[in-house]
Amino acid sequence: MKSQVHKHTLANGLTILGEVNPSNVSAAIGFFVKTGARDEVGVESGVSHFLEHMMFKGTPTRSAIDINFQLGNLGAQANAFTSEENTVYYAGIIPEHFSAMQELLTDMIRPALDPEEFAMEKKVILEEIALYQDRPHFFLFERAFKDYFGEHPAGNSVLGSHDSVSALTREQMKAYFDRRYSPSNMVLAATGNFSWEGFVADAEKMCGGWERYSVGRDTPPYSGKAVEHEFTRKNLSHAHAILIAPGGAAQDEERYALSLLSTVMGDSSGSRMYWDLIHKGLADSASVDSDERDGTGCFLAYVSSTPEQLDEVVKIARGILATPLDFTEDDLERAKSKIVSRIVLDGELPMGRLMALGLEWNYRRETTPLSEVIRRVRAVGRPDIERALIRFPLSDWAEYRLMPE
Amino acid sequence: MITTTRLSNGLTVIVEEMDHVESASYDVLIPGGLIVDDVATTGASLIFADLLGRGAGDMDSRQLSAAFDSAGIRHGEGVGMDRFSLSGSLVADKLRRAIELLALMIREPSLPDDEIPSIQSVMLQDIAALNDNPARKSMVELTKRYYPAPFNRSSLGEAEGISATTRTTITDLYRRYFVPQRAILSIAGKVRASEVFDWAEQYLGGWMGSSAELPRFGTIAPHRYYPLEVDSAQLQIVMAAPSVKFDEPAYYDGKVAVSLLGASMFGRLFVEVREKRGLCYSVYARHGATTSYGTITAYVGTTPERAQESLDVMLREFDGLRGSVTNEELARAKTNIKATLVMGEESPGSRASSNAGDWWLLGRIRPLSEIAAAIDAVSLASVDAFIERYPFRPCSILTLGRHALEVPAGVAG
Repeated sequence: MKSQVHKHTLANGLTILGEVNPSNVSAAIGFFVKTGARDEVGVESGVSHFLEHMMFKGTPTRSAIDINFQLGNLGAQANAFTSEENTVYYAGIIPEHFSAMQELLTDMIRPALDPEEFAMEKKVILEEIALYQDRPHFFLFERAFKDYFGEHPAGNSVLGSHDSVSALTREQMKAYFDRRYSPSNMVLAATGNFSWEGFVADAEKMCGGWERYSVGRDTPPYSGKAVEHEFTRKNLSHAHAILIAPGGAAQDEERYALSLLSTVMGDSSGSRMYWDLIHKGLADSASVDSDERDGTGCFLAYVSSTPEQLDEVVKIARGILATPLDFTEDDLERAKSKIVSRIVLDGELPMGRLMALGLEWNYRRETTPLSEVIRRVRAVGRPDIERALIRFPLSDWAEYRLMPE
Repeated sequence: MITTTRLSNGLTVIVEEMDHVESASYDVLIPGGLIVDDVATTGASLIFADLLGRGAGDMDSRQLSAAFDSAGIRHGEGVGMDRFSLSGSLVADKLRRAIELLALMIREPSLPDDEIPSIQSVMLQDIAALNDNPARKSMVELTKRYYPAPFNRSSLGEAEGISATTRTTITDLYRRYFVPQRAILSIAGKVRASEVFDWAEQYLGGWMGSSAELPRFGTIAPHRYYPLEVDSAQLQIVMAAPSVKFDEPAYYDGKVAVSLLGASMFGRLFVEVREKRGLCYSVYARHGATTSYGTITAYVGTTPERAQESLDVMLREFDGLRGSVTNEELARAKTNIKATLVMGEESPGSRASSNAGDWWLLGRIRPLSEIAAAIDAVSLASVDAFIERYPFRPCSILTLGRHALEVPAGVAG
């Protein structure tokens, strides 16, 4: 926790961040590209995620199999994910292979987009879409966000639909890549046991030639809407509901207060939702989250129960959401202890620290030492939560349900 | 550094001191689990584990929960096939408090009668929700058919058994199985072994009782193909076949052989089924073993019209492995297994659970160097010898989806 965060910027705008901890057994390295479903326009729906897959399918000098096999040879624990706002490529690696891993990862994110591999991987993506069709909870989240955000890009689907992905062309993907993958729109970060000087020198050598161009993102605020909508599906055994209200953005100072409030209201254990719904056997899932996005955000609750009980469960959940200040000092202190403990545990492993570092940069262009994050969590008092609730009153809820047909 | 001691009541205490972290993790294993439930109350052990967190000593449910949360201890009480487990992670300066609370749950659980109905209600909901998760359902259904009773039980229990459970069922489980004699407390993190031993003695030294006999593993059923029909977007294919046990010399031959096929990204199944043919998103094979049995399981989820080809390709890969492994492939699989081990070294959670697991199965903890040497010793010849002994034929196959598949004669018995 005493480690210092190093920062360097290449002439082409690529930000390089590192936090060295020689006592770690391994290192973690990753590219955090500030792009995702919300940056897709029109027919591009699903292209960010599809492109993430294509990074593993070959470069001008490596085939897909070359990449797979080299990751295996290095003993790398490598993967990638795409969200509405970020696309992240990362690997856990033992120190002796750090430099080789850096070279591989750097090569991967300048992909060949080979037409045959493009056609083949499209089939894999369509299978992934089919997989999630069989997960009702996922289906509801996607539909709910799409409806809630409407024309606002925050509601764009990460996977895209069967039709949108089927129709995507390699040229559209290339155009998206050329528009979004500027070095100035990403950060290369590393944590754990590695050499900062070597890391920067290699980055200079490997990424210094990447051309810079300007990349933007509109971050319009969104004021939410209070609607009620019920989706239905055949063969559904369980019922689900999501409640969404306007919440804080990743850049808002209120995020600490809102995060604590969501823990008090809806953490998996010891929260108000837990005691009133799960502990009583009414619901088998009940949670509250502060979902902070780029320039906007929402506060959301999720519950699932038998179809017969969902009315009662939603009513109780709404009762909790309508009384956000109904907590004691002890409740708040316990929520702080839980969050601080989580920060320490996640932060001591290279991969946990890497994610915090890279994503924080993408959202706020800053790096906060863990000790400072902990201090800010500890400093939150009831007045801070009251102030946050003036700005985000949690009064207008959209409600989405998924019920058996 | 790892130190172990055995308290006079039989509880083994394992401590791994890790200086580079701020946290600590604990793992308690107690023989019992799903297999000790009576047939009529299958799943009672799950209710029992849930009740452990609902009050202990003079603390009720809310007070116990508050005690854990105030100390920032994330904890869970669970049930495996043949064990109960209590685990947690925390900032290391709260370890003494964690052991104190743990001991209270173990020695003086309230097991409140009035909380049983709500737990039953949630568990019945979880069982109903299994239909909405076909990948998991397919594995539960194959487990039921492949393993001998009672080792074939669902990790969710059975609706009838859960409904039939009473407080007497629970207190019987507690009295018979919650004993220290063969139990393990494993702790890893920024801790001092001498302190941990003192606290273990102080809080758990007075825990008494001797172990009841556990059911023994029988013989697996004759292999068959089980087609289950449901209307879903993807069709699930799961397979299982016997393999080497954990304490046999050929264990790492089996683990490496299955990794050659089933590892994500570079295993043959991933390359042939996903990369070259685009047939699926998820495909894998895994090796699981205890000292009673070993199993190779394989999975693929794919849309119905491509399911037959997926199954055919997978079977072909299993059949084609023997005699075709290259030195490069072998080295890659070994490197990967070792890298996973090495990277697990730095997490207190994985150290506590790995040490507990070793002790559970072997009665000792293998140093990393011993495991690395065993992996290094795997050769092309030893992999082939393993496949000859465990050819994955016949195997049990279960499909869950819109239609049944053609399974070639001789594949599933």
